[in-house]
Amino acid sequence: MAYRWGMAVDIDKCTGCEACVTACHAENNIPTVGAGQASRGRAMHWIRVERYYEGSFPDVRLKFRPVLCQQCDNAPCEAVCPTYAAHQNEDGLNAQVYNRCIGTRYCANACTYNVRFFNFFNPEWPKPLHLQLNPDVSIREVGVMEKCTFCVQRIKAAKTEATAAQRELVDGALQPACAQACPTTAIIFGDLNDPESRVARLARSPRGTKLLEDLGAEPKITYLQKQPWHEPDAY
Amino acid sequence: MSQVFPKSANAWSKASVLAIVFVLLSVGWVVLTIQRSDFVTSANQFVEQPVQFSHQHHAGGIGIDCRYCHTSVEISPSAGIPPTKTCINCHSQIWSTSPYLEPVRASFRDDKPLNWVRVHDLPDFVYFNHSIHVTKGVGCETCHGRVDKMPLMIQKASLQMEWCLDCHRDPSRYVRPRDQITTMGYQPAVAQAELGPRLVKEYKIAGLEHMTSCSVCHR
Repeated sequence: MAYRWGMAVDIDKCTGCEACVTACHAENNIPTVGAGQASRGRAMHWIRVERYYEGSFPDVRLKFRPVLCQQCDNAPCEAVCPTYAAHQNEDGLNAQVYNRCIGTRYCANACTYNVRFFNFFNPEWPKPLHLQLNPDVSIREVGVMEKCTFCVQRIKAAKTEATAAQRELVDGALQPACAQACPTTAIIFGDLNDPESRVARLARSPRGTKLLEDLGAEPKITYLQKQPWHEPDAY
Repeated sequence: MSQVFPKSANAWSKASVLAIVFVLLSVGWVVLTIQRSDFVTSANQFVEQPVQFSHQHHAGGIGIDCRYCHTSVEISPSAGIPPTKTCINCHSQIWSTSPYLEPVRASFRDDKPLNWVRVHDLPDFVYFNHSIHVTKGVGCETCHGRVDKMPLMIQKASLQMEWCLDCHRDPSRYVRPRDQITTMGYQPAVAQAELGPRLVKEYKIAGLEHMTSCSVCHR
């Protein structure tokens, strides 16, 4: 059976430590652009931790929400790509084919969640930092869009290994770097097509909401929280 | 006032329209031919190695199985380059004083690997996995050619995307039984047209949609 990769993020568990952001940078060869470019909005973080302040001083509550590509079923980024570099692959991932991308940046403009990033320069890793590059992930060149892949290199490796050994993938055996790094296990990854997988059960949870669900992009990431968002009175 | 154009200009203008089309098509043909040529793909070109290792002698003449040296081909994306120790297994006994093999012995003595030059080099944005191809019944020979007849290793195929897709679109033309993976000069026992589709089914080789999806190889 085909897989349909999804994620559940428990906001109540998230402490905002940003270990996921660091892990993502290390795993996916994401370049840092420096303060100057970052101030022009060219910073690249496939996953970011958004901070929301609720209440007024001194009774302030801070909430964190890790935001990454929502791997939408009805993705706005894919429809606008003139070269089909952004496309839905058979596992339901919004795949980005870097060597096909011509850098129109339409997808970044269409994306509801601001999770697509453009390489304004050729990335550089001054020696000896080049030794930390992950050989399983392409280095993106100047003029190419990039985005969270749900660590497709890990998915590919696990699937290939399972196929070669002629067995099925086990739930939980495979997780992206952000989920692996999360100290509070706020990020759960798995196959939504398997009704018994952890992520599928969490996706059915009454605590679950989707980010900007009304826009109809049908994201595959479920955010779990005790109270609905933007109801500070509930605390 | 006399006419600017003579009467023959009619014929010239018609001919020039045809000529423009012909020139454009020729330029297109030349570009495509150069782009597929060995000059661009670096196919069929010998590469200078630290030791001029002969696959013809070792794989063809002596009959060493591919997997004796390329040990990880069945379990890993990379087939693996053997360490110097693998060479020394035999060459501590035979040809152990040959000056030709001095770089190998020096490498073993100093514990410094030989710097073999990669012959089959794919672009960095494409990810090839040996283990899955071998498991699904793609023989060494299918991509690497008759290695047992190569005194020096050459890249036999163009390694261009159209070459990959040729098989990915219809693998039944190329698959062989798993026990024949490393066989050189393999001939199917029954007609490939009959054997191929059967093996595709038996080895559960994915359909066209999966095999030609960009993200199968690019990520």
